[in-house]
Amino acid sequence: MASVLFRGIQTRPFLLYPSALLSRKNGVLFCTTKCSQSQTATQENQQTQMKVSPRTHTKKVEKILHDYEAIIGIETHVQLDTLTKAFCSCAYLYGSQPNTNVCPICMGLPGTLPVLNSKVIEFAVKVGLALNCNLSMNSKFDRKQYFYPDLPKGYQISQFDIPIATGGFIELDLPTEYGGGHRKFGITRVHMEEDAGKLLHSGNGSYSQVDLNRAGVPLLEIVSEPDIRSGLEAAEYAAEIQRLVRYLGVSNGNMQEGSLRCDVNVSVRPIGQLEYGTKVEIKNMNSFSAMNRAIDFEISRQVDLYSKGEDNQIIQETRLWEEGAQRTVTMRKKEGLADYRYFPEPDLPEVVLSEEYVDNIRASLLELPEVKRRRYERMGLSMQDVLFLTNDMNVADFFDATIERGAEVKMAANWIMSDIAAYLNNEKLSINEIKLTPQELAELISSIKGGTISGKIGKEILFELISNGGTVKALIEEKDLVQASIPTLLIFMVNIKFIK
Amino acid sequence: MSTRASFVMGVSSLLQSRCLWSSQWRARNYSVPSALLPPDLPLLAETARISLIPKEAEEFAPKIRQVIDWFGQLQAVDLQSIEPALRADTEGDNLRNDVPETFENREAMLAAVPSFEEPYIKVPKVLNKE
Repeated sequence: MASVLFRGIQTRPFLLYPSALLSRKNGVLFCTTKCSQSQTATQENQQTQMKVSPRTHTKKVEKILHDYEAIIGIETHVQLDTLTKAFCSCAYLYGSQPNTNVCPICMGLPGTLPVLNSKVIEFAVKVGLALNCNLSMNSKFDRKQYFYPDLPKGYQISQFDIPIATGGFIELDLPTEYGGGHRKFGITRVHMEEDAGKLLHSGNGSYSQVDLNRAGVPLLEIVSEPDIRSGLEAAEYAAEIQRLVRYLGVSNGNMQEGSLRCDVNVSVRPIGQLEYGTKVEIKNMNSFSAMNRAIDFEISRQVDLYSKGEDNQIIQETRLWEEGAQRTVTMRKKEGLADYRYFPEPDLPEVVLSEEYVDNIRASLLELPEVKRRRYERMGLSMQDVLFLTNDMNVADFFDATIERGAEVKMAANWIMSDIAAYLNNEKLSINEIKLTPQELAELISSIKGGTISGKIGKEILFELISNGGTVKALIEEKDLVQASIPTLLIFMVNIKFIK
Repeated sequence: MSTRASFVMGVSSLLQSRCLWSSQWRARNYSVPSALLPPDLPLLAETARISLIPKEAEEFAPKIRQVIDWFGQLQAVDLQSIEPALRADTEGDNLRNDVPETFENREAMLAAVPSFEEPYIKVPKVLNKE
């Protein structure tokens, strides 16, 4: 994978907006004054029409956020990395010319019948197991019926009342730069469905354009319990889902490509109140940091209305996050709940899983992020190191391979996190694409530890190894880099004396 | 699917969503029959995008009521000891291997699109899903 995000080295998107510098008190998060300072500069440039300056607004909100808690749930759609679509044999290649990856089935032409791609079930079971869910050994597909130009059949094949997996959980660790902490969030359900096409609205407004390449691409919908309490937790949840689907190899999880999409539901309630507040859906967040900021904004907006006694102005609706203005705006007021007239998809048989099938998949699962983090912790690495090394599975594998060959744990971690990561960042490479092998890194580390070469020389050799490959031993000889040790020097001097 | 057929499907799905959904989460206890309410016909016609003039709506309402009541007879069956079926049929699975195949006659499909503006399908501007 060419583009890999390394924590702590490449500027993480949401570090640009330290509005996420939050501390936790009474289950509610509020901004420190530091964040308001860095926000003020950008916001003043952007919005002169804001009545309240960001700094005073934040201080006011700080006070009242104390008394409220946010209830957040996230629905994530993950595009599966199968070779063909869910119900037909069309390939799906992101970036293809519009309407080239199509056939009568995914175009919804009359007389066609869907046939399920077996890989979709396999991926769904993988994710269900990784999320600690109960699998439904028998599940079915349903038709979710509505009319929209990007939905060729007039219905979406989905799973309504009997999804393939229910009742799981996901665990994660919050980044150390935001105070750290371990979290466990419930997963309500995971189900299989198909994607719709892409709808583009033309400039002049009289018509729209449809590209059906994406229609029929398999999706997994992952619904969380409303256990999330802040923008930060939401962003980390989404990042962990991304990490998980990448580890499992079921999706590339790229938000930019649309392979990972999150819709968020936010409500607030005064602490102590049992009833949930009114739920507001937020769409159009294109990055984890945008999710973080959008949710924090929405929490503030709702809390602000509550504090003014205007909480009846919070209505169940869908709001859009405006990245430019850094605020949510009404999309359209929801007029009651949609009636999708669900009924079982008559053209598809039941999805039946056997114990053997599930056991085989469970056995094939590699070490998942949560298990890896705990293992690295036990090895004595700091949480910061743990989070860095486990973020990308390839990096973790490289690290494991290096210490397997005898390298000292902390030194291996340091080399990977500093010099190697910096190189990867600059050259926009993934750790699999460099010429350095774990074997040679281990060799380098033991050479330095054993005193054969200095740390400084080590850095030089490392650069050479990364860009051109080769072995440590060969490079030391070639460049005559052996650090003169005292005994060697004495022998040399003694020899000289004798020669003289 | 013909519009009549999809209308009937709409009604039966209404049945599904009204009875099954609530009974589903009562551990599929079908021994307790729930009242079958007639649908809001104008609303149903709207969701199914079938235009009905008031006279037709009036005509159809009792007929639909009859269909629902006819299905409702099934509630008299004692299902205490029966394992719920998820859906009718026992053909077994019908799965496909994940092997790409290009459809050969894409041009014919696109030629049949009523309003095609290379490379997109041209449609009226619709912003709202409702």
